[in-house]
Amino acid sequence: MESHAIDTASMTSQESNESLLLEARGVTKQFEGLVANRDIDFDIPRHSIVAIIGPNGAGKTTFFNQITGIYAPTAGTITLDGVDITGFQPHEVAQLGIARTYQNIRLFQNMTVLANVQVGRHVRMRGQWYHAILGTASIRREEEATVAKSRELLELVGLRRSVEDELAKNLPYGDQRRLEVARALASDPKLLLLDEPTAGMNPGETRQMTDFIARLRRDLRLTILLIEHDMKVVMGVSERITVLDYGEKIAEGTPAEIRANPRVIEAYLGKQATSA
Amino acid sequence: MNDGRGLLRRALWFGFISGALVLYLITVGIVLAFSARNTITGVVALGRLMLVAPPLALGFVTAAQGTGTARRLGAGLLTGLASGLILAIFLVFVSAVDIRGILVRVSPALTTFVNFDKGATTGAAINVAIAGAAGLLGAGVRVMTARFRRPLVSAALGVVIVSMLEPFLYPRLTDFGLIVIGRFLFDHKGLTVVAAIVVFAIFAVATVGWPIARRATRQRIAATDPGTQATIRGMTLLVLILFLLALPQIAGAFLSQVLVFVGLYTLLALGLNIVVGYAGLLDLGYVAFYAVGSYLTALLTSPISALHLGLPFWIALPIVILGAALTGLFIGAPVLRLRGDYLAIVTLGFGEISRILFLSDALKPWFGGAQGILSVPPLLGVNHISVPILGWELSGPTLTYYPLLFFCAVAAFVAYRLKYSRVGRAWNAMREDEDVAQATGVNTVNHKLLAFALGASVGCLGGAVFVTHLASVFPGTFSILVSITVLSIIILGGMGSIPGVVVGSLALIGLPELLREFAEFKLLVYGGVLVVMMVARPEGLVPDVTRRRELHEAEAAEPVEALPSSEGA
Repeated sequence: MESHAIDTASMTSQESNESLLLEARGVTKQFEGLVANRDIDFDIPRHSIVAIIGPNGAGKTTFFNQITGIYAPTAGTITLDGVDITGFQPHEVAQLGIARTYQNIRLFQNMTVLANVQVGRHVRMRGQWYHAILGTASIRREEEATVAKSRELLELVGLRRSVEDELAKNLPYGDQRRLEVARALASDPKLLLLDEPTAGMNPGETRQMTDFIARLRRDLRLTILLIEHDMKVVMGVSERITVLDYGEKIAEGTPAEIRANPRVIEAYLGKQATSA
Repeated sequence: MNDGRGLLRRALWFGFISGALVLYLITVGIVLAFSARNTITGVVALGRLMLVAPPLALGFVTAAQGTGTARRLGAGLLTGLASGLILAIFLVFVSAVDIRGILVRVSPALTTFVNFDKGATTGAAINVAIAGAAGLLGAGVRVMTARFRRPLVSAALGVVIVSMLEPFLYPRLTDFGLIVIGRFLFDHKGLTVVAAIVVFAIFAVATVGWPIARRATRQRIAATDPGTQATIRGMTLLVLILFLLALPQIAGAFLSQVLVFVGLYTLLALGLNIVVGYAGLLDLGYVAFYAVGSYLTALLTSPISALHLGLPFWIALPIVILGAALTGLFIGAPVLRLRGDYLAIVTLGFGEISRILFLSDALKPWFGGAQGILSVPPLLGVNHISVPILGWELSGPTLTYYPLLFFCAVAAFVAYRLKYSRVGRAWNAMREDEDVAQATGVNTVNHKLLAFALGASVGCLGGAVFVTHLASVFPGTFSILVSITVLSIIILGGMGSIPGVVVGSLALIGLPELLREFAEFKLLVYGGVLVVMMVARPEGLVPDVTRRRELHEAEAAEPVEALPSSEGA
């Protein structure tokens, strides 16, 4: 699987779609005259950790937003687990199993830590408003199960039980990142999107987060897509890397291949770097 | 050094604010309106307290900062003196120049009252002394430890409030044959000196004792087994219900009427609380649902309405609720994509549109235009005067009080259950960050519509009950003021808090009814109260637990930065 030719980005035909969780074909987004990204093909194999890198304004976050349904692509298709999710609403995409975190942490600040995770569980719950009013036995069981599940996840991401009634905004920065991951995990996602999960972290915290990402894949059998600026994180944890520049895919391959790719070096360091 | 000068400026600035407040109260006419109400007969009238309150309060605020007890006390004194000086200048000025042409309320009766009938110069001097003492007292209260401050403040407020209740307490005590107590407590529309001392002592002791007793009781309950705890909870609820049921019998006809208004607004606020407090959708057109509830009920139940149906109330009710929920969807749908300010403006428009529609000539055959709909039958029984129920004779306001109580209980129950459910959390998440909520899987469109529909259904209940109380409905009732008042209740009580809604309507609807002199200043006082609340206690009187933390944790982290003192000075 790591043997993709750099630059071509096309799939070899013998690979069956069964092994792919997400397939994006020719995805394009145009805002009025501005093309945010153009004709991107992108695959995420099951249980892999893949990364998107690229300079600022390369269209990484736009691509994220297309996958999660915030932007409908102007052209192209996105398929999740065999379902064409192009043009789906964000909550429908969440329902189908994509969860995400945000570059600049976006928790429900004035809700408790536990409630944040419980909201994450929303798509896996069935209780309607009339159930809630009637207080049926099934809804009580569901609530109890949700609390139990949420606590389990808080423990998994390493948050102490004592903080569960704190307001999210009162947590220290690192814990807020953890809470965001717990909230994302609460929806039992198939695909977890992490938008610069180590932004603002010191080297020690970054290493912890990197280990944690690897562990998530191993223990929860998750598939993870990363956006990262920190090359060390990307190189260390991901199997495949896609490089975007000016809204286009300029390279794809293993960390080693990417490191050696002249176009990538050029995009990051400028033209002189390659010619020198 | 710097601190000293800062404190001086602060004291003078607050003194200036206090003086301005006092002048405002005087020229608007509130002081004179309350000059006849005694708080403690022969000692102090309510009007006088209003003159003393600003220097007292701002002396308190001034002393919040600064180092050294003496300095802080001095600053408070200075605030009071500055305030008194402004009043003094005003008094001397009006004694020389007649300004009644501009400020009609500055009458000789007023100046005589403020001057203690001693002439302008002496009166001014006395007022400076009183204001200075008030400022010093305020600072003193601030400087003392909370252990003394709390009982002192609550006891003082207790005396004022009990004295205000005189017009209602005295006749009721007489009715119950307790005229002895009435005579002991009250004299000439105010408390007697002895009674004031007794009331003061009772409140002070209660303030000290209450938390201790509560903690002890809690501990004792916590020590018992779950079964007993459930029984205790049940008993508490039962006592509360019995109390609420007996309340109109104790309170008498007039107070029951007040309770009906309080109940009506509690119901409306419970509904709006779902929309604003839970889902964070600022709806300024809530009156529309109240109007729809009223008109639909009138239309269906009145025998002389356009429909000529004359349905019984309880058969009409489901149709009314359905109609209101549909109206909620109808209003909610177009504003789905709007946020914050835009939503507020559009809903404000919808509120006005509804009133104008009900008033319009085009719909006159249905809603009767300005004449409205008459002959709405009562909710219980056949006439609006009295109904025998289980050997009891319900009459007057209690005919509406009990149904309202029932509906309030239902609405509170529904609101409570929703709050701690999947739906309630989704609403809160939407309030916090709509985009993230949606990306987390919340169908924001459905949840917004649900909030509007449920809020509308509860609001229409208020209209449905109230139209049977008045036996008629007119478009004039449904002014924007209703929306604003309901919103104010929620803000005052605490956003998203169910007990807060009750306290809010007691304070904003009940109190003004009790203080009839307030009637013409009601909106003025509303505005003032809201401004003070936003500055001093933005989470409301009985805040939601999480919200209290949200607004006060930050203060715990860094010392309270009180009102900006240098601003504009």
